[in-house]
Amino acid sequence: MHIAIRCFASLSRFTPPDAEAFATTPGETVGQLAQRLGIPPVDLKLVFINGAHVELDAELADGDRVGLFPAVGGG
Amino acid sequence: MPALLDLDESIRARTRMDPQPDGCQRLVLPYPAVLDLARGLDRQRGRLHGSNVARVELAALTLGIPPERYLRNGSAYSLAEQARLLGSRMAMVGLGGLGGHALEILARAGVGHIRAADGDEFQPSNLNRQLLCTRRSLGGYKAAAAAARVKLLNPAVDFEPVAEFLDEPLMERFLAGADLALDALGGLSDRPALLRQAARAGIPLVTAAVAGQAGFVATVLPGATGPADLFGPGGANGAGGAGAEDTLGTPAPAVVTAAALMSAEALNILCGRAPRLAGAMLVFDLEAMSFERVRL
Repeated sequence: MHIAIRCFASLSRFTPPDAEAFATTPGETVGQLAQRLGIPPVDLKLVFINGAHVELDAELADGDRVGLFPAVGGG
Repeated sequence: MPALLDLDESIRARTRMDPQPDGCQRLVLPYPAVLDLARGLDRQRGRLHGSNVARVELAALTLGIPPERYLRNGSAYSLAEQARLLGSRMAMVGLGGLGGHALEILARAGVGHIRAADGDEFQPSNLNRQLLCTRRSLGGYKAAAAAARVKLLNPAVDFEPVAEFLDEPLMERFLAGADLALDALGGLSDRPALLRQAARAGIPLVTAAVAGQAGFVATVLPGATGPADLFGPGGANGAGGAGAEDTLGTPAPAVVTAAALMSAEALNILCGRAPRLAGAMLVFDLEAMSFERVRL
């Protein structure tokens, strides 16, 4: 199964080359995905799947659009 | 000069038919007439109770006559909504990148009462994005530059500058009486406190932040989860982590985009509509040119 990944702001450097169709396995959680991408846990503040905020234990499903967001405070 | 009860009559006497871009003719109260009539009221009753410019504009709107300065708002705001904006009270924290551009939009839109706090002074690194930071204002208080700008833009706005950094107890007093709080702070550290105090005051908070080409805008209703709850207060090298802007910076396109979006949402709320971003964040990335709504 495949998902689409978007890494925002300072997390963009963790974007995999195949971000639009990233291979994942049933049962993999968002937290495990972030770990696999090499994102330090302290830098990951907001994860959303298909436009809804989820916790790190949310499981991925085929075709999910995953957004990964760090803390952003500039003004 | 006209007697007090003659304001409506004076407004009608100065109203003219104006051709509009769509070819229609429309009644309009010309800009110089607003100023003349306000000066007349200044002489009659003094300026003790707020701006007489706003009083004239409100009276015209009530008569169904748009003041010329708001004409190109078109039908984005009805006359009743425009009148409501003039009567509304906003409290904004931060007069830097987000705050300067937001203040520009809100003052031009005719938000009647704006209280704005920032204890900072302009420095050269603000010049890349901050509307109020110019070669002339460098070194001066942001709050003072804001007051001068509002005076130049729209005398109907009753503007209250506060040249202080607000701690949480000061925030509580600062928000008292406001219809809406605007979080135009820079950095992560003060945002959770402002979120808490807006909730305590029982008013919506419109918040925004950027890092590099990315950013977000959100509306937090009292008691609801906001971005600041997720991001925390940060802390240099601490467990909270730094904001991404510390490395990616705050370039003008993202800052101005976020300021425009937060202003549009603030105007939605102040003119009496339901908040469009309640419980949601609008996340954007100008490098990818993407916008996405996220439910919190």
